[in-house]
Amino acid sequence: MAVFMDFNISYTTDKKRLQSVIETAAHLGYSTVAINYVVDLEQNKQEIGKPKCVSELFDTFPIVQGKSRPIKVLNRLTVVASRAAHFKPLREYKAYDLVAAYPKTEKLFHAACMEFTIDIICVAATEKQPFFFKRSSVNGAIERGVFFEVSYTPAIRDSTMRRHTIANALNLMEACKGKNVIVTSGAEKPLELRGPYDIANLGLLFGLSEEDGKAAISTNCRAVHLHGEMRKTALGIVHSMKNEQPSTERWEKEDVPASKRAKIEMAQ
Amino acid sequence: MVRLKSRYLLCEVCVSDRRNLLLLDDRAIYSATKTAVARAHGDYGAALSSLGFSVKYLNAHTGIVFLRCRKSHYRLIWSALPFITRLEIRGQRVPCFLNCLHVGGTIRTCQKFLVRYNTQQLHRMLPLCQSEAERSEIRKSVLSCTLKKEADDDEEEEDE
Repeated sequence: MAVFMDFNISYTTDKKRLQSVIETAAHLGYSTVAINYVVDLEQNKQEIGKPKCVSELFDTFPIVQGKSRPIKVLNRLTVVASRAAHFKPLREYKAYDLVAAYPKTEKLFHAACMEFTIDIICVAATEKQPFFFKRSSVNGAIERGVFFEVSYTPAIRDSTMRRHTIANALNLMEACKGKNVIVTSGAEKPLELRGPYDIANLGLLFGLSEEDGKAAISTNCRAVHLHGEMRKTALGIVHSMKNEQPSTERWEKEDVPASKRAKIEMAQ
Repeated sequence: MVRLKSRYLLCEVCVSDRRNLLLLDDRAIYSATKTAVARAHGDYGAALSSLGFSVKYLNAHTGIVFLRCRKSHYRLIWSALPFITRLEIRGQRVPCFLNCLHVGGTIRTCQKFLVRYNTQQLHRMLPLCQSEAERSEIRKSVLSCTLKKEADDDEEEEDE
């Protein structure tokens, strides 16, 4: 059984609802979920705040159906971009495990594919996309390892949104040939989630082939997760962790000369 | 050899409120699925789902349903299942969703899967038990889960 992940659970301030959504996700078999904080910098000067600490939600995380490990919860930021200036701040991005962009214009889409340090590009689900996807930008994104996300909850809620979602998804498939696509829910309530095999089948409606559909919820999601981690650690070479004890305290007992002390610290 | 092949979709009905589950009716699921397929795939879908589609088994306590459809069209019907948002049971509207667990070619393979799934569910319920009596009940049911008996052999403990 592959590992299934769902990277788009909308953040609500209602803690109980968020808990029930995550419990339902664990019951359905998702091993990793990500809580999505949507920030629209255009509207009311919203600041990109810090995400809520994940361990505040649960004392013990619910166990995933079919496995014995508890579910893993990540934090994700989605920036609704209408101007390129929105992407300047980089320090706040470090607090989030995944960063996504929702471009509204053709130029921004091209810039997001080629330059921005993000992991996911969202494809519009609630409105007809005002621009078409260009093969050049899409191929550039695929080379960089950026993934395109199709969200399916608007399709469940309303019929006109269903048409838009399917139209935009088919448009995307023509440009990218089914590569680098992930399918996520946008669930606000626990009843809006669907099981992983059902979504792999929904991929057929979106134009994905059968194996692409299954990859869209398992292997591609895992690649996104790794991409997000790599973004935090500067190309995967340096990984900083908080050191519990100050190191000088540890070495004071042993009589190590100062020059050797520095070498020992670096080697750790 | 001419044989009419079919596919059995093993689905679980997930509701937010467990007491609504007990009112489940196979006609409600049948009509809900037919309308969902008709809305998603139009007249073609409606025609397909009238051909060899039926609800074969329903367990109101656990919410397990077996849907039977033709092998040539089961993917189409399966792809419309995520769009079911509620069931109409005896005038009441129950919000729910169907989660497909397994697709089998015969009822017997689905039954085998169901027995394994139910033992898994019982194992999941074991740490949540409050009293020793409930725990021993669950252990007994786990040991007695076999294919010879009926497929709905798990005793669902109310109020976990």
